[in-house]
Amino acid sequence: MSDSDDPFEPRRPGTDPERESDGRGYLSVDEIPETAPARELDWATRLANATPSLPRLLKYAIAITVAVLWIVPFLGLFMASLRPLNEIIQGWWHLEGMTLTLENYQQAWTYRTAPMRRALINTLIVTVPAVLVVMLLGAMAAYPFARFEFPLKTTLFFLILLVMAAPPELVAMGNYNTLREVGLFDTYMGLILVHIGWGLGWVVLFLRNYLLGIPKELEEAARIDGASRYQIFRTIILPLSTPALVSVAVIQFTWVWNAFFFPLVFMRSPELYLAPQVLPLMRGRIQVEWGLVAAGSVMTMIVPVLLFLTLERYYKQGMVAAVTD
Amino acid sequence: MARVTLEHVTKRYEDIVAVDDMNLEIEDGEFVCLVGPSGCGKSTTMETIAGLTKPTEGTVRIGDADVTTLPPKDRGVSMVFQNIALFPHMDVYDNISFGLRLRDYDKEEIDRRVDRAADIVQLEGMLDREPNELSGGQQQRVAIARAIVREPAVFLMDEPLANLDAKLRVHMRTELQRLHKQLDTTIIYVTHDQAEAMTMSDRIAVINDGRLQQIAPPLTCYNEPANLFVAGFIGSPSMNFVNGDLANDGLRTDHYDLEFDPAAFPLEGIDEVTAGIRPEDIYLERNTESVVDPSATIEATTDVLEPMGDEIFVYLSLDGSSAEMMTSDEASTASNQLLMSVDPDETIEADQQVSIVLDRSKVHLFDAASGEAITHGVADESVHEAPTADAEGGATEVESGGQRD
Repeated sequence: MSDSDDPFEPRRPGTDPERESDGRGYLSVDEIPETAPARELDWATRLANATPSLPRLLKYAIAITVAVLWIVPFLGLFMASLRPLNEIIQGWWHLEGMTLTLENYQQAWTYRTAPMRRALINTLIVTVPAVLVVMLLGAMAAYPFARFEFPLKTTLFFLILLVMAAPPELVAMGNYNTLREVGLFDTYMGLILVHIGWGLGWVVLFLRNYLLGIPKELEEAARIDGASRYQIFRTIILPLSTPALVSVAVIQFTWVWNAFFFPLVFMRSPELYLAPQVLPLMRGRIQVEWGLVAAGSVMTMIVPVLLFLTLERYYKQGMVAAVTD
Repeated sequence: MARVTLEHVTKRYEDIVAVDDMNLEIEDGEFVCLVGPSGCGKSTTMETIAGLTKPTEGTVRIGDADVTTLPPKDRGVSMVFQNIALFPHMDVYDNISFGLRLRDYDKEEIDRRVDRAADIVQLEGMLDREPNELSGGQQQRVAIARAIVREPAVFLMDEPLANLDAKLRVHMRTELQRLHKQLDTTIIYVTHDQAEAMTMSDRIAVINDGRLQQIAPPLTCYNEPANLFVAGFIGSPSMNFVNGDLANDGLRTDHYDLEFDPAAFPLEGIDEVTAGIRPEDIYLERNTESVVDPSATIEATTDVLEPMGDEIFVYLSLDGSSAEMMTSDEASTASNQLLMSVDPDETIEADQQVSIVLDRSKVHLFDAASGEAITHGVADESVHEAPTADAEGGATEVESGGQRD
């Protein structure tokens, strides 16, 4: 076995034996030119190439319209949060004589009946456990559905899907009574449990689809190497599910964070109110305090947005893998 | 190191029988290939040995222990998978040491063993790479290192080379043989590629429809196939088969007669006989001097030529019809077709009249109804001692090794 012929030896660039034969191998470092080769084109041709065709223009126009429609309300909210009330009432889109101020944010942060500061902390207290527990329980429930054979598997899975189809209003009444009876009404524990139960359905479905895409041989290899079911789950399945778990975290976080209905039904004490509940309280008595509401909304909204931006890369991977199967 | 024994192993799924009453005895340190067409049950057989599947009936023994109900980790086996199955989120070191870390070996012992395994499969200096940074061959080496690092008693390989390109595959075959010599461990190797089976193994177990057809050294399977399936499966291109009726002086087929003394062979109660002859045992009449025991001359027309470089495959038509629309498998069983292999220096053209002879010492007879081999070589016993003695030796070999129903 000669050195050059061993297919396992990584070849050093520039020493590729194929280069001699067809001249298309790697360049050695010295031969690489300073600038990338460019095609010789005159300005007219370049302009012609860069001008989009009519159908393309139409597509652009539609895409831009949709984007604007989506972004305008957000822009309005953002502008309103930064301007005094009298300017907002004339229309946030009037730019002449604009005063930018953070006063709305300060007021909302320390609003007397329900300060945003406390509401955001409350929301965090509910959201973080509701997300983490759903991720763990969801993965543990999804794994058997993806891999094991057990009696009533299809029926159980169907039941889980059925729960997803129910509107939240439907389960609210039952949960309300249950929480009252077990003494968890108007506590974060009660609200967290409701969120966990409500979120598990789609999380199990989502993670199961993702887990189906993990090759069975990986688990068989681990089994032969001596891993128990639990060890396989912890050392193989969970690490490989990271993208899907991140997707779950982002979606569930956004859902729980923004949830209005469940806190409205299950939380009574004003000092326990969550951010989405507090927002309507900021309207004021005589005149709607648009600036306050807007500032509060932006503060509420910014948390899931930041989370999404941080985890975007994994989120996309997980979504693609879970949906393509 | 251990011997592996399967006793009456049957695996039934809801509506199919994947493995049917399999009896296998694999010696300590032996390299055995399980070969057969796709879906023949060879992988299921391996999975029952590995413990990934529990047999419906029967017993699996490794060494002296009955392991039928033991989980894979307690069987002392390790396995290499077709799709390599490296853990993508671990680097090479973590992949190789996975099983050792699960068993709580101390760090030094793990390092020592990983280094040794990496050394054996020539992966030095790559321990901190991620699997996706490795080439296909390197990945397969990591998988092999992961399997040998635990120093298993039995090594299971499920088509480990199937996903590699052709050149690498040939190279890895030699590597695996070297590995077997070095480790001296029992290796059970599943493949559908008969070239792999022929070149690497001590014995080949040919499996079809969940049943063991023959287990014997590669050349025995080739020269003395136990039945029609083995005869047709081993060897490429396939053996020529022709059905014929027995007469007092030999076999009559549609297009030629084969002379031999039927009384010399155990033919009682057999109505129809299939004769089989490999392409390389058919000769042009002008080369007859090299044939020990030629048959009578058969007239044929050459049809298609397939020059392979080291030999030429010639499709012969016995009645003037063409085999063009047939696959080589169909052609090998059609009574009016023969596939012959000739020396590349031979001057031969398409659509040419040729006279050929068969080497009678290489003609196999099978019971057409059951497919069982009757004899390998129909040469006259009194004249030619040697080939017939071979054939008889083969027959006993077949009986001792071929554990068919």
